[in-house]
Amino acid sequence: MTHAQDKSSMLSQGVFIFVYLAVLTGLEFFVAVSFNSVALLVVVAIVKAVLVVYYYMHVYQLNAEHEGEEDSYEYKSGTNRLGLWLFLISDSFVFGGLLVMRINLLGLTRPDLNQLLGLAVTSVLLISSFFMNRGETMMHNGDRKGFLLNTAMTFLMGLGFLLGVVLLEWRLAIHEGMTPDSGPAGAAFFMMTGMHAFHVFTGLIILAIIWINGRRGLYDEKNYPIEAAAVYWHFVDVVWIFFYPALYLIGALA
Amino acid sequence: MRKTNPVRSGLLLLVLGGVVGYGIGLGIDVLVSRALNFSGSVPSAFALLLSVTAFFFGLYGYRGITRGLVWQVAGTLIGAFLITGIRAAIGRTDIFGSFFFSEPAWVFGALAGVVSFTFGVGAVDDWMKWARGIDTPEHHEDMPGWEKYFYVSLDHKVIGVQYTATALFLIAVGGTFALIFRTELAASQLQFLTTTFRLFNQTGPQLYNTLMSLHGILMIISILLGVSGIINYAVPLLLGASDMAFPRMNAFAYWVAVPASVLMLMSLVLGGFDTGWTGYPPLSARAPVGMQMFFLGVFTAGWSSILGALNVIATILRMRAKGMTAMRLPIFVWASVATSIIALTATQLIGLSFQLVMFQRLFGMGFFDAAKGGNPVLFQHLFWFYSHPAVYVFVLPGLGVISELLPVFVRKPLFGYRWIAMSSLGIALVGFVVWAHHMFTSGMNEYLRVPFMYSTLLVAVPTGVKFFSWVATIWGGKIETPTPMLFVLGAIIVFLLGGITGPPNAAIALDLHLHDTYWIVGHFHDTIFGGFVFPFFAAIYYWYPKATGRRMSEFWGKVHFWLMTPSFLVLTFGMMFIGLRGMRRRIVDYDPLLGFDSTHLILTICAFGIALSVLIFFINFFYSMTKGEKAEGNLWNSRSPEWQVPSPMPAHNYEVPFEVVGEPYDYGLPGSKYIEFLAVKSKKH
Repeated sequence: MTHAQDKSSMLSQGVFIFVYLAVLTGLEFFVAVSFNSVALLVVVAIVKAVLVVYYYMHVYQLNAEHEGEEDSYEYKSGTNRLGLWLFLISDSFVFGGLLVMRINLLGLTRPDLNQLLGLAVTSVLLISSFFMNRGETMMHNGDRKGFLLNTAMTFLMGLGFLLGVVLLEWRLAIHEGMTPDSGPAGAAFFMMTGMHAFHVFTGLIILAIIWINGRRGLYDEKNYPIEAAAVYWHFVDVVWIFFYPALYLIGALA
Repeated sequence: MRKTNPVRSGLLLLVLGGVVGYGIGLGIDVLVSRALNFSGSVPSAFALLLSVTAFFFGLYGYRGITRGLVWQVAGTLIGAFLITGIRAAIGRTDIFGSFFFSEPAWVFGALAGVVSFTFGVGAVDDWMKWARGIDTPEHHEDMPGWEKYFYVSLDHKVIGVQYTATALFLIAVGGTFALIFRTELAASQLQFLTTTFRLFNQTGPQLYNTLMSLHGILMIISILLGVSGIINYAVPLLLGASDMAFPRMNAFAYWVAVPASVLMLMSLVLGGFDTGWTGYPPLSARAPVGMQMFFLGVFTAGWSSILGALNVIATILRMRAKGMTAMRLPIFVWASVATSIIALTATQLIGLSFQLVMFQRLFGMGFFDAAKGGNPVLFQHLFWFYSHPAVYVFVLPGLGVISELLPVFVRKPLFGYRWIAMSSLGIALVGFVVWAHHMFTSGMNEYLRVPFMYSTLLVAVPTGVKFFSWVATIWGGKIETPTPMLFVLGAIIVFLLGGITGPPNAAIALDLHLHDTYWIVGHFHDTIFGGFVFPFFAAIYYWYPKATGRRMSEFWGKVHFWLMTPSFLVLTFGMMFIGLRGMRRRIVDYDPLLGFDSTHLILTICAFGIALSVLIFFINFFYSMTKGEKAEGNLWNSRSPEWQVPSPMPAHNYEVPFEVVGEPYDYGLPGSKYIEFLAVKSKKH
């Protein structure tokens, strides 16, 4: 449990994990441009996902001992946590299905996309996860101001990612002649980014809700909503950890 | 006190709304297409929407479900006009389509209608308050009497009854559709669904296809709702919980299924669809707008299924009574876990596959369009990844009901409790890796066939475990045969027939002949009747006194059973008989020279026999609510906790919590005890 640990150690843990994620993303990009080993890319993506799931999404809390009566807030939060994770398992089957679709239709080819823009939006989303983790930890430590600042940063970077994909990336792709109805590459690209962007959009709404309620002084005691919003946000990040290599890095240009 | 009879005023307004809606639709149709077409889709669509809404208005006034339906109609129209306006603004020439609105306008409107319904009915009120930082009480008080069933209630028992009633309604609708096309099939040649016949913009054979497809999907949705109904009602009671883990999501999961049902009926009037319930492209990429309503309806019903399953798993993991360890769970709860694991995960894939076809139609994205580099077989993989495990969603709770009720009526311990519990999970898990046995003739990669054949045959192992356990449980028991037990025994026999006709289909060589014949139709009706319909009726007869405090008539229950079972057996035997000899499924007509006329006539008569028996059930069901014999005690002499307290169940279940102190099914063992009520009073919620 977070309360039992040193307050600053949780924050520095968040920084370390972020550094690992950044290095792995760089490694991923390097692998893709130098010798493009699919197996290695998959391994790196899995390692990144495990880091986020364990350290940012605190999956181990599902196993925590819950003290108190069945009516207590702790016990109910435990039930809510389980419900959220079940939802994420369910949701990941959609994204799994989309990956299957991409592999079936495109095989070991990839659409011709702007690599720098892809790396940029990926970095923005990863950094937003870092800020989300920071905001959540600060609220646990009772630092409301820090929570509001970091959640606002998360929101802005999430918005940046969304606009980067929908306004810049989509427009560039259409400009290059890859429209939704041009062929399997376009269909897969727009479907996958679109479904992910929809989840980012819902995540932004949730972030706005906890930011506004946090500013009005809620979540002093009952702060499970913040954890829920954070876990959902990190989940959206985990999805992109797989979608980024699937769309930008794996295979040769069609 | 209301003077007028609400049902009568509801029916009056149903007719009135239908006539007015038809008139409005006809007027719009004439304005747009400049031709008078009495059998067109637009008048029917308006008549449908207005009459259903008006019926509930008369029944219930402007609240609860009526408000939801009004909002759905308004949301549909606003959404459709919005898209129409946008199309006009960007200068498209095809602002209107052949069904008044263009296809994108209908799709967006229908989606907006579903969302509006959930807001209108009040299923998301508390969540909206939470988002604004307002706390709401844990429970809401329900209205007394029947009115609470048309309103958003958080009580799992009310929601269970709502699910069951909706399931029964859809069974009636889907069954009526079956009777219509079964009547056409009674003799070769076209009798009344002829090519000159016109209804809802469809010719007779087209309408046959639509009714056949809708029969399939309405029955599937009604099964999903029926399963949710039993689980919702029974699981918290069996666990000793005061409610489900997430009562609001439970209510939402039910209420979102109502607009989904409306969309299904919309698909009938908006040109229908002729793909069968499987919706394979490329045909589904070309079918009328009704196809999109079907996709969206299934998509929406899928939310219901997913959220319901999530709730069940969380409830079972977190809200068990003291001492209820994994191996002391009621067996029905184990079946619910297994079924929920499938519904939670695999349902997403049917949603995704249908969504991809919808997008292919709306945006020209060529996922399954071979001309654009797509792959139609991919659809079948995604679709069957859900739709095969889905049949285990249908049958596992039913098999759970059999195992749950059998020991009660043979007064003997359940044989091999652990094996039954694990076999449910086994069926669920094996079920995930058998989907491609539906695709042996689809042209998929050849090397996939044999592994899928073996994995399919493997399903027979855990299913066989269940049969051995049931037989061993019955062996040497003191068998009593009240109506629920009759249906349990019927279920075992019918499901056995469904089970042993399965492995032949799994064998590739045989399947190449059997694929798409009436053999398959007979086979799956056997499995679904044995795995769901019979146990569902058993569960209703069994738990009806718990819900109402009265029991259903034994005599008419037995008439129901003895009329339905032989009719059904002859029906499916006949189907398999002509199927083996080459009768294709999903066709409106057949060659008289095949010599199937007399068999088809018998099948039609049997279908009407089943319909009559279900009608008897319905009358018994409604009559017994007020006039049935009082049954407030432990009617079946069961050990299960819910029967140890008086019926009907109080609003928040057990006033005094209980502790599990023994094995659940030790019937007939002297001195054995399953539960013990604790001395302390529980806290009031």
